[in-house]
Amino acid sequence: MKGMKRAPALVAAGAITGFTGILIAHAGAGVPLAAGSHPLAAGPNGSAGPATSATPTAGSGSGSGKSNPARRHKSSGPAPGGGAHSVVGSTVNFGYGTIAVRVTVAGGRIASVSVARLSTLEPTSQQISSQAIPVLRSEVLAAQSVSINAVSGATYTSEGYARSVQAALDALHA
Amino acid sequence: MSTMPARSGSRRRPADRRPPPQCEPAAQPRPALVQAALAIVGVGLGAITALAITTETRAEFTAAGGAATFAGSLTGLVGTYLALVMVLLVSRMPFVERVLGHDGLLRWHRRLAPWPISLLVAHAVFITVGYAQAARWGLWHQVGVLLAHYPDVLIATLGLGLMCLAGAISIRAIRRRVRREVWWSVHLCMYLALALSFAHVLAIGPAFVGHPLTQAVWWAIWLATAGLVLGYRIGLPVVRSLRHRLQVVEVRPEGPGVVSVICSGQHLEKLAVSGGQFFCWRFLVKGMWWQSHPYSLSALPQPPHLRLTVKNSGDHSAAVARLRPGTKIVIEGPYGTFTRHFQQHRRVVLIAAGIGVTALRALLEDLPRGSQPVVILRASQPEDLVLGSEVRSLVKHAHGWYHELIGSREEVSINGRTLRQLVPDLDRRDVFVCGPEGFVTGVADLARWLGIADEAIHHEAFAL
Repeated sequence: MKGMKRAPALVAAGAITGFTGILIAHAGAGVPLAAGSHPLAAGPNGSAGPATSATPTAGSGSGSGKSNPARRHKSSGPAPGGGAHSVVGSTVNFGYGTIAVRVTVAGGRIASVSVARLSTLEPTSQQISSQAIPVLRSEVLAAQSVSINAVSGATYTSEGYARSVQAALDALHA
Repeated sequence: MSTMPARSGSRRRPADRRPPPQCEPAAQPRPALVQAALAIVGVGLGAITALAITTETRAEFTAAGGAATFAGSLTGLVGTYLALVMVLLVSRMPFVERVLGHDGLLRWHRRLAPWPISLLVAHAVFITVGYAQAARWGLWHQVGVLLAHYPDVLIATLGLGLMCLAGAISIRAIRRRVRREVWWSVHLCMYLALALSFAHVLAIGPAFVGHPLTQAVWWAIWLATAGLVLGYRIGLPVVRSLRHRLQVVEVRPEGPGVVSVICSGQHLEKLAVSGGQFFCWRFLVKGMWWQSHPYSLSALPQPPHLRLTVKNSGDHSAAVARLRPGTKIVIEGPYGTFTRHFQQHRRVVLIAAGIGVTALRALLEDLPRGSQPVVILRASQPEDLVLGSEVRSLVKHAHGWYHELIGSREEVSINGRTLRQLVPDLDRRDVFVCGPEGFVTGVADLARWLGIADEAIHHEAFAL
């Protein structure tokens, strides 16, 4: 313990460096910094025509989600024009669980959105998800796309939800 | 008076002893390295705090239970980080041993210990409160839900329980009433406790779920810590022991309740040890093989022999007196900064009480020429002054001064006046003091009060 008088100062200086370092890296990574909400997808499409890009929602930085290809659901068949089509988007792993969203399109518009499957790692995520899902649903219906804001405090669920919806839309327009 | 078989204290002059060890194990690391290490510890602390903050959104914080949940994740991360620092402190890393000294790092370990444990308990409490507030149900119901439905939380809770138990047994008042063997076994559970907590952090920690980078860094930090601990606490001792093949040659009485154990081994000339250092000794006989105890060498190695001198002050040291020749020994070490490598002045004063004379005796033999040592030995009774004649003859050959202070603490006390009287040039000497903890801190404080610089005061306290 000789010559350790400056130890507290050194540790403090290191701590400040480490702290700011992580803050800067975090800001640089483009992840929202303690922000309440952020846009999930910058889709150019305002109306029923979702983007035809092959990647559902640009990588959000979290990147652990593995999605299965969207599957056609139920009977409706790929009839163009008037009839209602319903597709379940791919099951997306959002970290605290998995979600799959069913999207029904009728007359070129998103007519309804509902959760086909939701399983969470633990009860807290279940609560957060079930509180966020109605909000996300009305946002998607209002925006007619996944250009929506993440629900505050439910970022993971929001991202998973949006990615599954996007996958469903992609499948419907394939 | 008995001395080592291969060498008596007076046969050779210290000046023409064997060449110095090939590497200088106890040389002090460069200050820049020490400062860098301290800064790195700080960087980790800052980074982990920032990690907790950046994962949190304002909405999460203001939601029901959000503040408590945030406090929970912050205390959890910082507490775990400090727990890892604690583990590294006692990992026997040569770097840490050299910078802090073994007794110094144990002091830091003890001083820091309440922090990680109370932070991790706070983590559990905050998270439970926060989740219960968010779900709007009772605290006890939340405890049940957490244990039953959250991945890996049950085993982490077991780990926390173990950690509290192992922490509690180290509280001074309890520690004193418990045998060292029991304390050591329970304290070892800290490793298990930490391992049990590892999984739940990655499974549900907001900073880790969906963040492969932080996960990878977390894995790397834990694996590196585990590797250092395994390497320095198990790997290195095993390698050293296999190489040196130490065994007991003779156990001989030195005084009331004090024995010297003479050991023999191979390649001891390669064992880079300085006078004043100690090893942790594990004697491979029934009832003793599973625990290792720190004892100082009471003389420099005399290949093929080593000598340690032990005072009967507990079950283990009592059992040492009954060791049979041929008993195999596993050693860990050498440890300790009570060596000439830390000497600031040319001249020294060496002070020891009771069995502290062992480290002093070895250090005395290792002092550079011109140290002109003033040696002060303190004992309650004349017969407790073990190794006295060896020390006396070494002092004579080093052209030093030898003083014995015999009597109870009331009769002869070491105070500023006695010290100045016995050591008129005290200001120009390094002070080495060795003995029971109370004695050592008393003399070190006295030396500091007399104006000796911290760097020139060296101590090794013997835990009994």
